[in-house]
Amino acid sequence: MQSNRQLIKDGTLAENLWLYLEDDAALSDTASIVSLQRLEDEADTLRARNAPLGVILRAGEKQGEDVRRLAPFLDMIQLVAIEFPVYRNGRGFSSARILREELKFDGEIRATGEVLFDQWQPMARCGINAFEVDASISLDQFNQAMGEFSQAYQPASDARRGLLWQRHGK
Amino acid sequence: MYRYDEFDHQLVAERVEQFRGQVARRVAGEITEDAFKPLRLMNGVYLQLHAYMLRVAIPYGTLSSKQMRMLAHLAREYDRGYGHFTTRQNIQYNWPALDRIPDLLQELASVEMHAIQTSGNCIRNVTSDQYAGAIADEVEDPRIISEIIRQWSTFHPEFSYLPRKFKIAVTGHKNDRAAIKLHDIGIVIVKNAAGEIGYEVHVGGGQGRTPFIAKKMSDFVPAAQLLAYLEAVMRVYNMLGRRDNSYKARIKILVHETGEEEMRRLVEAEFAKIDASQMLTVPQEEIDRIAAYFAPPALQELPAASASLDAARASDTAFDHWVTTNVVSHVKPGYGIVNISLKPIGGIPGDASDAQMDVIADLAETYAQDEVRVTHEQNLVLPHVKLDDLKTVYDTLLAHGLATPNLGMISDTIACPGLDYCNLANARSIPLAQEISNRFADLDRQYDIGELKIKISGCINACGHHHVGHIGILGVDKKGTEFYQISLGGSADENASLGDITGRAFTEDDIVDAIENLVASYVDLRQGGERFIDTYRRVGMQPFKERLYAE
Repeated sequence: MQSNRQLIKDGTLAENLWLYLEDDAALSDTASIVSLQRLEDEADTLRARNAPLGVILRAGEKQGEDVRRLAPFLDMIQLVAIEFPVYRNGRGFSSARILREELKFDGEIRATGEVLFDQWQPMARCGINAFEVDASISLDQFNQAMGEFSQAYQPASDARRGLLWQRHGK
Repeated sequence: MYRYDEFDHQLVAERVEQFRGQVARRVAGEITEDAFKPLRLMNGVYLQLHAYMLRVAIPYGTLSSKQMRMLAHLAREYDRGYGHFTTRQNIQYNWPALDRIPDLLQELASVEMHAIQTSGNCIRNVTSDQYAGAIADEVEDPRIISEIIRQWSTFHPEFSYLPRKFKIAVTGHKNDRAAIKLHDIGIVIVKNAAGEIGYEVHVGGGQGRTPFIAKKMSDFVPAAQLLAYLEAVMRVYNMLGRRDNSYKARIKILVHETGEEEMRRLVEAEFAKIDASQMLTVPQEEIDRIAAYFAPPALQELPAASASLDAARASDTAFDHWVTTNVVSHVKPGYGIVNISLKPIGGIPGDASDAQMDVIADLAETYAQDEVRVTHEQNLVLPHVKLDDLKTVYDTLLAHGLATPNLGMISDTIACPGLDYCNLANARSIPLAQEISNRFADLDRQYDIGELKIKISGCINACGHHHVGHIGILGVDKKGTEFYQISLGGSADENASLGDITGRAFTEDDIVDAIENLVASYVDLRQGGERFIDTYRRVGMQPFKERLYAE
């Protein structure tokens, strides 16, 4: 995590205990976030290791890494970081929903990269629960952004049911 | 018409406040233009050549008189006294001041309207058939499912930052007036053998620099499952659509590069997962609640013919012409569907003044069950007018320059804003539309030529739909000079086709003569009651081309 960033997790400022590990860096007993490639290549070693493990889904040049490649490893990871390289690349919104709804991942999903004020609430609706945000952002600002819309028309990964259903008590 | 409930009101109000905060941060210099751009685009605010432009959504093209009066008011108070109706059933204001746009949006919200998702890489305003609920042989009023799609797609948390913009159109009639095959998703409402309503879904149509006719992905999606199906298409697109090149980012390119079969397999697989969760199965009570807003208006039982109309037609030739070209049969005997042409001879296609909008609102309130429709061909419609009232309506329209009897004729041109407004354009579109209109001003001649759809785009982005014009005109830039390339044989209806380029482009001075030349070829070649497009489809490019480029 960059030094000018802070972590907001589950609605509060949180200490970042995770280290992003380069592919050639040695493994240690620190909570570490590795690349998807490394996870696949060194799955056995990583599984034998005695420390929390996370993985980052990189956005890539053209398409971005496929979240479904995580399926065989879900039992060994506690965190998935999703990279948003620029605000307009919204592929990660789908990755997060697939993780939560299809792959039933219940660990931390963290947004990293260029994430704008008005994107936090929809990200949270897609199942992202941790945000690396600019250090200048106050928790009040964050919570204000999270409350910009009091209702939602459609269901997603969160508890909101969607107005099309809610109107009829469904 | 759909009316907002407390939740709809609240969401639009919250959006206005959100945007007010964003504008305040921008005006105070707290955010840069770069950071502000995605925020303003989500609210329909573009930066054009000379000023900010605001695009207001008119969902599925339906307006009440109260809403139309508000559009007139906004034109007067925030613009220079006019608005521009677009091919996507929106209205654009070309001169609003940025710091006043939040107030404008607040006024708009007071009549249950907004500018949400009229730009940006999200699901845009849902468009539909302008004759919905008024035309005979409709399977179902397309506005019901359009409204459900509008709500589902509004502030969709997953699909607000797609690879590129996304347009959905719906028709409930076998005659497609919504150009559904030229949309990212086109929906045709159908009935199966058991008499159940469902949806035929077409995916991957579009214009721009790489035009495609949409591929039929499904013959029949049951009504309750449509949102699950749409979400499946959207998710496949959001996951696999290209983000490395904005010209290759639309779903049409994904469908083309993936192949129709594989795309169908991907969508079906995603659909199976989403549908199994049942989370997007729309409750029948909600479908019924929304459908009730679109119940047919209480029209009177009237004889099919109107003696007063017949008498007026016999004594007023101009009125008779107008009825022939601009009035369409209504499903209810004794009523008609009135098309108001926004293509006066020599005028700007799609423009209406504040005074004209007020007049149309009054007519709608008094004579048309309080409804106005906007068409993708940039005209307006009064959907339910008694035949007995046609003459009165016509006289009022005539007095305000709104009775041009040219619907579907050569002067009923679609044109994009072009180089006069748009910073993407290579060439001017509006002046060319005006020149063509002036050249073919003579009504007898227009009627002799018959249905002929000319569509003009000022650049390859094809906002003027040139690919699907019977005659399409595309502005191109060659070494700083404006040239115009012609294509023939395009069509946006249920027999959608893309035009073929004739060859070398024409200069500004030659282009109208070239159109004249093509019309002359058609008149010589046509057989029986053939329209231009019919003749072209029969004889092909060659005879037109030979004469067009003859020395």
